[in-house]
Amino acid sequence: MDSDHEAYILLLLSDSNLPTGSFVASAGLESYVTHGFFSDLSPATLQSPPEKMDCTVNFLRDNLSTYAHSALPFVLDTHRAVDQYLQHADSDPASPAMRRILQLDELYESMTLNHITRRASKSQGVALLTLFSKGFSQPRLSGHFDPSADLIDSRAANASVLVDRLKLLIRKEETHGHLPICWGVLTAALGLSSDRSQYLHLFLQARSVLSSSVRLNTIGPYAAQQLLLHAVRPLVDYEMAQCKHLTAGLLPSPTGDESENANDDEIRGPAMTWPLGEILAARHDLQHSRIFNS
Amino acid sequence: MAPTKIEQGHGRIVLRNDASGNVFSELAATYPLKLLAPRLPSQNVSIVYMLSYGGGLVGGDRIRLDVEVHDAACLAILSQGSTKVFKTRPGQRLSANDHIHPVTAQSLNVRVAPACALFLLPDPVTCFRDAKYHQIQTFHLSKNSSAVLLDWVTSGRKSLGEEWVFSRYYSLIEVFVDNDRIAKDAMLLDERNPDGSPFTHRSLADSLAPYSCYATVIIYGPLVRDVMQHLSAAYTAITVFKQHAPPSLLWSFSPICSGEGCIVRVAAKETEYVKHWLGKALWDLEKILGIDVYRRAFS
Repeated sequence: MDSDHEAYILLLLSDSNLPTGSFVASAGLESYVTHGFFSDLSPATLQSPPEKMDCTVNFLRDNLSTYAHSALPFVLDTHRAVDQYLQHADSDPASPAMRRILQLDELYESMTLNHITRRASKSQGVALLTLFSKGFSQPRLSGHFDPSADLIDSRAANASVLVDRLKLLIRKEETHGHLPICWGVLTAALGLSSDRSQYLHLFLQARSVLSSSVRLNTIGPYAAQQLLLHAVRPLVDYEMAQCKHLTAGLLPSPTGDESENANDDEIRGPAMTWPLGEILAARHDLQHSRIFNS
Repeated sequence: MAPTKIEQGHGRIVLRNDASGNVFSELAATYPLKLLAPRLPSQNVSIVYMLSYGGGLVGGDRIRLDVEVHDAACLAILSQGSTKVFKTRPGQRLSANDHIHPVTAQSLNVRVAPACALFLLPDPVTCFRDAKYHQIQTFHLSKNSSAVLLDWVTSGRKSLGEEWVFSRYYSLIEVFVDNDRIAKDAMLLDERNPDGSPFTHRSLADSLAPYSCYATVIIYGPLVRDVMQHLSAAYTAITVFKQHAPPSLLWSFSPICSGEGCIVRVAAKETEYVKHWLGKALWDLEKILGIDVYRRAFS
């Protein structure tokens, strides 16, 4: 994949108008604000009330950290599985890659232990697959494309087959279609490298938090833009450095002996790092009035 | 009937139930793990206290406990006082020649046969300054076995001004029902590496404030359906209006495994608040465990 093509795909995917459903998700920010966390939490200080921009960055740092630790391993593993399949695919059905995707999706479901986050993740995941088949497939445009030129390469064709199958399985409720999994599928199908895919995923998470913040009226649109330029980039770089090598781990071996991990100094698998964020996100629907779905 | 040889820090509990009541067919542990099973009035409920010598674990300790519950028996695993995790053994000096493993680890593997129940209701883990602790717990249930699994951690020795200053707390809980994984809760509380961070240091204490105790409870099975129903009803009855400061206690309830189980998380400014809350939330357990065991767990 040449870098011009990659840059162009990045432009498309970072469009804030993409119908990915992220505009209804606040990733727990709305609940965080409602529960009074935009107040000064350090005890016994007499300083002036904290700036809302500072509070927004507090949330952003904690949220990005836990999201990077829990989602990036799944983006990476899914991307690898799909990329491998697309590189070596003959006409054979996508079974090994598909099996791997389903295992990852199931594992992500069992690790996402709050119903609000699960709900948001599934609806955004499915939206990405729909985006791929409806928004990124080759249009007919018979008046402009030369019909004799075969523009669809076999990689794109195989990717479509894979995405269609996954969509069918989700519709039949045989799998969940979680966001990090579907993101891995989409970006691998479009030929983005796994590095770029993870980076963009975190960037979009951060930008979505900032857009929510604007909609909640906790910061203004210019402040959000300032944060995007000056805060988000170093934060995403930092979390990438911490988490880009994590993997989802060995897949279900119910009889396997997990206690081996206890002797291991390194944490190589996904983890939730912010239990406070979990509780607040799960309490989303308890809010008396709310403008987001999560 | 202890097995002939157990490795250091390992323990094994096998609980059965013959016609006359519960019987431990195995109950053995080696230093620094200690198991105590006091006699109880009930024939079908047993408790085991999981203790460590000196009341704490130190850097490099490796505890492993394997548990099996059979024949519709009911087992409660408790501790006496919080599990304290020290960086090094008190009084022990670190020199260049010491090879103390930096991580203290505790692992628990439990098999709960059909119709049996397990109640894991320990006191919280308290990690002292700079301590590094890994806790890996795996539970194999079957469709009609039941479990209440509590895992909680405090911010440290508050009396010494310690507030989330340990180096790492990692807790991994996996629950399988008939070999299907229904929950994998991996929680990592790690003092963040400031290298490469673009901003002023954001400590664990900053992220977890204003709370100093976090608890997770996973509940599953037919025996504890009442507990789940009551919690679910209490949860959905909550309405949150805009608040000006965080409340002193927060909790959440999420169903798992299409409602066959649930996960409850609690955070509070004081460990005692969490304990009190848990005692009330799990009050239905008194009917199952009996007043004596219930009081041992929650008072």
